[in-house]
Amino acid sequence: MANTVIGSSIVIDGEISGDEDLVIQGTVKGKISLKESLYVEGSGVVEADIETQNVEIAGRVTGNIAASDKVELKSECRVVGDIKAPRILIADGASFKGNVDMDEKAR
Amino acid sequence: MAAKDLGGGAGNNTVIGQSILISGKLTGDEDLTVQGRVEGELTLTRTLIVEPSGVVKANVAVKNAIISGVVVGNINATESVELTREGRMVGDIRAPRVIIVDGASFRGRVDMGDVEPGRLPAERPQRPVIRPQVRPGAAPPRPPPPPARSAPTAVERRPSAPPAPPSAPPRPPPPPAATAAKVEAPTPPLVGAGAKKKVIIKKKTK
Repeated sequence: MANTVIGSSIVIDGEISGDEDLVIQGTVKGKISLKESLYVEGSGVVEADIETQNVEIAGRVTGNIAASDKVELKSECRVVGDIKAPRILIADGASFKGNVDMDEKAR
Repeated sequence: MAAKDLGGGAGNNTVIGQSILISGKLTGDEDLTVQGRVEGELTLTRTLIVEPSGVVKANVAVKNAIISGVVVGNINATESVELTREGRMVGDIRAPRVIIVDGASFRGRVDMGDVEPGRLPAERPQRPVIRPQVRPGAAPPRPPPPPARSAPTAVERRPSAPPAPPSAPPRPPPPPAATAAKVEAPTPPLVGAGAKKKVIIKKKTK
């Protein structure tokens, strides 16, 4: 429970930054930058540019994602935006529209 | 299932962890615990808990706020604001209930609204109304208890009867009917039958 959790009824309009894991069950608009992992749960809605180490998405994300390690799109997610990361996983059933860039040089 | 894996067993409450900074607007319908920083605007329909490590620089509108950390900004609560021993706050508080505990640090204004407008007016009329009623009403009730206790108390009070007479003189000022009742009240042990008669008299007077 040390993680930060944004509950399902919470709406944040602005910027979130931090050095720890973040779980989003609610709505975040704006910008997210973390040094750890971001989890967007099934009920989570993110309309933001994301900069983290890892991202796991089971909810809805609209925005560009840049991860220094890995981006994982789970089977029920809906993602619109560009993804840039050395490792990108897209599960069967995931919905995704955008560019993918796995170029490690970009790091 | 995916949600469980991702959430790590997270509860309903929202927690802003120690290293997290949120700047912007935050709204919600659930309890929020802040261990990190929140800047901007914070609106909840439930309780805000600012833990000792938490820093909130925002205008806050909530139902309840419990502050053990730092708050800079105004708080508008529909129910209560509590500054705990570790709480530090600069800003104005507006809430019907404000609790500031010893050890808390606070600079700003407190507005609890109208100080319970319903209560003060209600008490004021009651007191004057009751006082006049008590004077006439008190006389009848006094006689009844003495006769009931007269049997046991008579034995005990007889030795102490002397002090009773001196107390009688100061009472004459009131009307004759009242004086009769009051005089007997202290001396019921002496004459139980007399008390009963006087009770009857009072009923007639009514």
